[in-house]
Amino acid sequence: MKVLLVEDNERVARFVIRGLRESGHTVDHAENGRDGMFLAASEPYDVIVMDRLLPGQVDGLSIIEALRKAGNRVPILILSALSDVNERIRGLRAGGDDYLTKPFSFGELLARLDALGRRTWTGRETILEVGDLRMDLLSRKVSRGSRAIPLQPREFKLLEYLMRHAEQVVTRTMLLENVWEYNFDPQTNVVDVHISKLRGKLEQAPEKPLLKTVRNAGYMLTAD
Amino acid sequence: MRASAVSLAVGYVLFGVAALVAFAAPLWYAWQVSVSDYRTAILQEDSDRLTEVFNRGGVTRLVNFIDERVGLQIAGERILLLTAPTGEVLAGNLDRWPASLPQQSGVYTVPVVLDGKPTPTFVVRTALPGGYNMLVGRDLARYTSVENDFWLGLTAAVAILLVVAVLGAVLIRREVLARIHGIQQTASAIMQGELSHRLRSGGGPQELDALSQTINRMLDQIEQLVHGIRNVSNSIAHDLRTPLAELRSRLEELSVTRPPPAETQTEIEGAVADVDRVIGIFNALLRLAEIDTGLRRAGFVAVDLAEVAAEAVEFWLPAAEVKGVALAWDGQAPLPVSGDPLLLAQALSNLIDNAVKYAPAGRGSIVVGARRLDNGGVELSVADNGPGIPDAEKPRAPERFFRGDASRASPGVGLGLSIVEAVARLHGGSLRLEDNHPGLRVHLRLGTEIVALSAPG
Repeated sequence: MKVLLVEDNERVARFVIRGLRESGHTVDHAENGRDGMFLAASEPYDVIVMDRLLPGQVDGLSIIEALRKAGNRVPILILSALSDVNERIRGLRAGGDDYLTKPFSFGELLARLDALGRRTWTGRETILEVGDLRMDLLSRKVSRGSRAIPLQPREFKLLEYLMRHAEQVVTRTMLLENVWEYNFDPQTNVVDVHISKLRGKLEQAPEKPLLKTVRNAGYMLTAD
Repeated sequence: MRASAVSLAVGYVLFGVAALVAFAAPLWYAWQVSVSDYRTAILQEDSDRLTEVFNRGGVTRLVNFIDERVGLQIAGERILLLTAPTGEVLAGNLDRWPASLPQQSGVYTVPVVLDGKPTPTFVVRTALPGGYNMLVGRDLARYTSVENDFWLGLTAAVAILLVVAVLGAVLIRREVLARIHGIQQTASAIMQGELSHRLRSGGGPQELDALSQTINRMLDQIEQLVHGIRNVSNSIAHDLRTPLAELRSRLEELSVTRPPPAETQTEIEGAVADVDRVIGIFNALLRLAEIDTGLRRAGFVAVDLAEVAAEAVEFWLPAAEVKGVALAWDGQAPLPVSGDPLLLAQALSNLIDNAVKYAPAGRGSIVVGARRLDNGGVELSVADNGPGIPDAEKPRAPERFFRGDASRASPGVGLGLSIVEAVARLHGGSLRLEDNHPGLRVHLRLGTEIVALSAPG
């Protein structure tokens, strides 16, 4: 993926750039809003990481608004120290696609960028498939091979999110926000318990494991 | 402030003078009217008596009568004149008719030459039968002194009023300035950090006392809040020191001992976890501050509280099952309220989290309920069969960073219930902790005013 990072803090920028390059992404870096605006408008990026408070009292949100007005639809992740729900809402209204609060873990950032940049599904599919796991969105039936898997409504939603982000790391926070729409951290391993319950239903011996735990990051549904 | 006291005094004096004028003017008018009416009546009476004398005894009798009267009188006090149809003066103390007097009978004020100088005189002219004319009058000069006395009295009254008003204004000014000065001094002391200072009250005007008392109550409130903030800041500093101390020793040990890479990796991960704990505390504090500003109220929407509660229970169910704790939802539905669904979910989640944490593993039981109260409000409750909280600690449990003896050993920072209480306050409600015999029962009450009238659409 080709990523544009607009971030003025040198240390944070170095940390993000190194991490993204190690994960095989190409990164351009802009230290201020003007350069960021110029690069975003002139180069095709898969995803943009935008800090909010930029040098010269520039708010990253104004850059996002300008890009959106110019018809630029590139996915943008807003990086901000402002954690209020109202600020988050403002960020998403301005045209941001995701909002991550500083301080953040690199794993969280990478997972969210993957989810934004590789958003290939259209929302119009009726069948989702990962390996021999198959989800029918119309009849709301899930099966693995010939075995039907009965799921609770919330488990269905959880699995749907994982399948739509197959082969990608999905963090606990992403699951909380997208499956339960909880925008807070319950501080306990509740999500892990839900995952292990779902895993018990998906993987019955001698079937191959599908739902993997990625250390220090989250989970990944993969057919490999 | 000085200028306003002076203008207050000047205004007070002006107001007094205006009041005096308003008082004196009708008095003066009434006096004028009654005196002139009285004079007219007396002169008319005189004139009638003289006419009576003329009717009974004719001209000769009247001439004698007038001569007699004129002889008795002090010159100038009373004016009498009787003329024949020819205009010849028959009797009286005037040698001719006053020049400006009209020919008809009536009551007039005309200048008459008395003792060689014209004097304003009040006269009654009467036409007698046979063409005779009679004039009866009085010199007004004798009233001039009374009038002068009136004006003198009025002036004296104004002077006294002025003195009293100035004195009163000076006293008022001094009292007001002294009070304001006192308020100023107290305010300055408070600004310099001496929060225990209070305004003097009592012994002054009631209004100022009431104001002083109100300000004092406000100061009490401010002092309490400042102490609260100080306590919270101290707690924050204290509670952050523990994970920071661990982090520091971990890193220092790492740099001193230089263990093999695998162990170094583990220690670094531990250090990141320490930092995450600190970040967690900060996030909780920021969330609390955000709730306390009340800004979230702007985002209130129609919510079915029963749905929020049922979802929270469903969210926690697997975690409770793993611990061997029965978690059940037993509430009325639907319960439409106006509120912030996310904060309500977080508050409930914190309560269920606590309950799961403290319920005994393997035989624990938690019941989450919700019901509409008789007063129209809504109450959520979370009851567990854990160790509960001793009565003495119940009121302190929602305090920031408060950790009871029972909870000291378990993970957490002591902000969960603070957030629940802040959410309740934001929704115009309150948090109540009760004994569940055994265990703890927490009631989260939402105010009646936030209950939506219509069901969520």
